[in-house]
Amino acid sequence: MNQFRKSLLGLSTAVCIMGLTAAAQAETLKIGLAGPATGPVAQYGDMQKIGVMAAIEDINKAGGVNGMMLEGVIYDDACDPKQAVAVANKIINDGVTQVVGHLCSSSTEPASDIYEEEGVLMITAASTSPSITEKGYKMIFRTIGLDSLQGSMAADYILKTAKPARVAVIHDKQQYGEGLATSVRDQLAENGVKAAMFEGVTPGDKDFSALIAKLKKENVDFVYYGGYHPELGLILRQSAEKGFNAQFMGPEGVVNSDLAKIAGDASEGVLATAPKSFDQNPINEARVAAIKAKGEDPTGPFVFTAYAAVEVMANAISATKSTDSVELADYIRAHDFDTAIGKVKYDEKGDLTESTFLVYRLHKDGSKTPAE
Amino acid sequence: MSEFSLYLLQQLINGLTIGSTYALIAIGYTMVYGIIGMINFAHGEIYMIGSYVTFIVIAGLLGMGMVSLPIILIIALVVAMFIASTYGWTVERVAYRPLRGSNRLIPLISAIGMSIFLQNFVVLSQGSRDVALPPQVTGGWSFGDPSLYEVSLSYMQVMIFVITIISMTLLTLFISRSRMGRACRACSEDIGMTNLLGVDTNKIIALTFIVGAALAAIAGLLLGLYYGVVNPFVGFIAGLKAFTAAVLGGIGSIPGAMLGGLILGVTEAMTSAFFPSEYKDVVSFGLLVLILLFRPSGLLGKPEVEKV
Repeated sequence: MNQFRKSLLGLSTAVCIMGLTAAAQAETLKIGLAGPATGPVAQYGDMQKIGVMAAIEDINKAGGVNGMMLEGVIYDDACDPKQAVAVANKIINDGVTQVVGHLCSSSTEPASDIYEEEGVLMITAASTSPSITEKGYKMIFRTIGLDSLQGSMAADYILKTAKPARVAVIHDKQQYGEGLATSVRDQLAENGVKAAMFEGVTPGDKDFSALIAKLKKENVDFVYYGGYHPELGLILRQSAEKGFNAQFMGPEGVVNSDLAKIAGDASEGVLATAPKSFDQNPINEARVAAIKAKGEDPTGPFVFTAYAAVEVMANAISATKSTDSVELADYIRAHDFDTAIGKVKYDEKGDLTESTFLVYRLHKDGSKTPAE
Repeated sequence: MSEFSLYLLQQLINGLTIGSTYALIAIGYTMVYGIIGMINFAHGEIYMIGSYVTFIVIAGLLGMGMVSLPIILIIALVVAMFIASTYGWTVERVAYRPLRGSNRLIPLISAIGMSIFLQNFVVLSQGSRDVALPPQVTGGWSFGDPSLYEVSLSYMQVMIFVITIISMTLLTLFISRSRMGRACRACSEDIGMTNLLGVDTNKIIALTFIVGAALAAIAGLLLGLYYGVVNPFVGFIAGLKAFTAAVLGGIGSIPGAMLGGLILGVTEAMTSAFFPSEYKDVVSFGLLVLILLFRPSGLLGKPEVEKV
């Protein structure tokens, strides 16, 4: 009898504990964190993880969302499109309905198909390929600007701030560079500024003296270069040697300390569109300090975009008092959010209405400052 | 002078500068072809190694606190020529001599293999990223009416012309006046007969590789200083251009290689001057196709022309 009683007590205690755990589990909301945790680009996955975990920690410290604690669950897609599909299916089997990720555009694209079909809310903090949001998805958002926005941003700067007399647009004949150069040229033309020259150079080429002589002959005083730093570095260096002193501007692809190494003094003052350094923004001071206190690096380009992705989700959940992802997606599309990356507002496609890029002026020591 | 002729003059200067370095590299192709009838595809890599050695020596000497630029450049030139020649000689000894007398395709394949090997060897030892050197020879003259068009001629360009002309003159004298040069000419006429007459042809062939490599090293120094950047892959495209120059002038003929290099350089500059510069390579390689179709022996590649 005594024995029976004891075991009954034990059993009831066990039931109680199990009940408690079940209750605690109901209070936790899992957020999937999809990206490369291994493989050659794992450092980008780390940036995303640092941002998401910091956001979750801050939100939980403030009492969670609607009384629920957030929990980040890491899924490794190794930036491999095939593995990304497997990861997406696993996320759905695990019953997770909010995902931050994926990271590489090539992984995000196949995975977003699955999330859209299964009604999982996905916010990518790093994928910049325009085609992801061009399929009319309802569940897919970003907290990062598109690559192609850099073109219109550069054109805007040329028209409104630089106001040069004659512009030349040069590119490296590759998808990235020529795409941006074309969009700059077209947008200038729409505003009545005709590019004096529109030409390609061969990537890997070393001699640009003929091109520079031509730029000089056309009396160009502003050159937009769509491409990467090795060619622009040589163009700058050879321009300085040949006494051609125009203002140069490039996309993110030229923002690299190697540009200053190749061009030396000639790299001083080059303009470039680059993602905003959110860790420099005063509103993130406390967050940067908290991340640093954990011994992690807050300067990566995807840390605060990932942080903002969690904020957007948490805001939507607390405002709608729901975790139904379709409802959340509708809410996100219709509202503004104040986040670590500033005001976030979405267009029909799920892209940010405001660019996360900024025009910077590069310096010969490899640093950059926001352009006036 | 009108704006147009000043512009033309500027493009001519640009074209001759790049053309003279093509010519320097082209000589290595043409000499080897003239004597053993093979295309040494690893030659572009020798030029690239010459450039790397130049960079290392200059950076080292500057780091040691040496300030006199002419002395630095002379030391760099001597070291680069010596090391590149060692590579040239070793490549011949290791990859081509054992295959002498076999089917013509076999040394060619060996040459391509050597080229890939050297490229990857440099990638492994120096890294695959661009290595940059700050401008050493700066400044220049500019002339013409600034309101029309200002032609610039940098000291570096002048240095390229002068060193190329000196090297070419010395090479011509060496080939036409010295005992070794006479042996070279004999080899290109008939290597078997020369051997029978008591000339050590293996030695002459090795010498050809050494001379070609030394000239490629000079080009490596000049272009390295001119552009200020080198990476392990510059040898491929430079080699291809120089090979085109050699074929254009008539492969096997030394004056042909000089002429071919200059023509190719000026053609490229003029194409970029009047058409979008992306057509530069289309025109220069198109020119090669035309020459091969209508004059397969090249501009100066007639049998009676002195070959080496």
